[in-house]
Amino acid sequence: MATDTKPKVVTIGIATASYQREAPTTMLRLTEKLLQRGAHVNIWTFEEAVTLTNKDQKDHQEPPGLHEVAGKQHTYVGKFVDGIMKAALHSGALKWVVCILCVQERGVDAHQMNGAIIGTFGDFWKFANASDRLIIIPTYR
Amino acid sequence: MSKFLIVESRDLMEYKESDFALNLASQLKKKGHETTLYLIENGALAARKGSEAAAKLTAISKEGVKVLVEDLSLKLRGVKERAEGVSESTMDALADLILDGADKIIWY
Repeated sequence: MATDTKPKVVTIGIATASYQREAPTTMLRLTEKLLQRGAHVNIWTFEEAVTLTNKDQKDHQEPPGLHEVAGKQHTYVGKFVDGIMKAALHSGALKWVVCILCVQERGVDAHQMNGAIIGTFGDFWKFANASDRLIIIPTYR
Repeated sequence: MSKFLIVESRDLMEYKESDFALNLASQLKKKGHETTLYLIENGALAARKGSEAAAKLTAISKEGVKVLVEDLSLKLRGVKERAEGVSESTMDALADLILDGADKIIWY
């Protein structure tokens, strides 16, 4: 008997960047679990979240007094964004689109990681229409 | 009838309007919808036994709302004792809920 093997599609819209709230970390953890379950995930970032894929982010040094407890380097969320995009490269199960107006406003349009696609609200609309689940993670000040 | 998943990531005591999420969960359940309230990030603070917010969670759980809280969020905040009616959950369980246990997802 044939079974329905079509993967479920989840679109996640997020407006929050690193250092504002935990939301980007939560989204990455959730995305990993969804991908592990065979789902396809579309990430649509807007507002500050478009800086998650700024390729110029770097590890930075911890103060010397904290080396024993925190190590010498402090990592950044973008490293994990890059990692998850590369991990999903050949499955095609993850798409990552950044809002064009938002990247231009923040001067990061020429600084996006290779896996991020600069798109529009039209892309978001198409994602939303083609998804089984839609999650919008707002930002709070 | 729908299956609603409400994810609360804010500290219920910091954001006054966050009561809205609890009221929404309660009202949806009263209208017959299967309703899960999932606490994550600072939302997990409300699950601490003895807090004012915890009493509200216990109350809506008695109305039939399933109230879950993510384990890592609890651990990071040192919350060891949960309010009555609040069950510990995981990111795996949240992914399962999203894919198979809910058809409408609201994330605060």
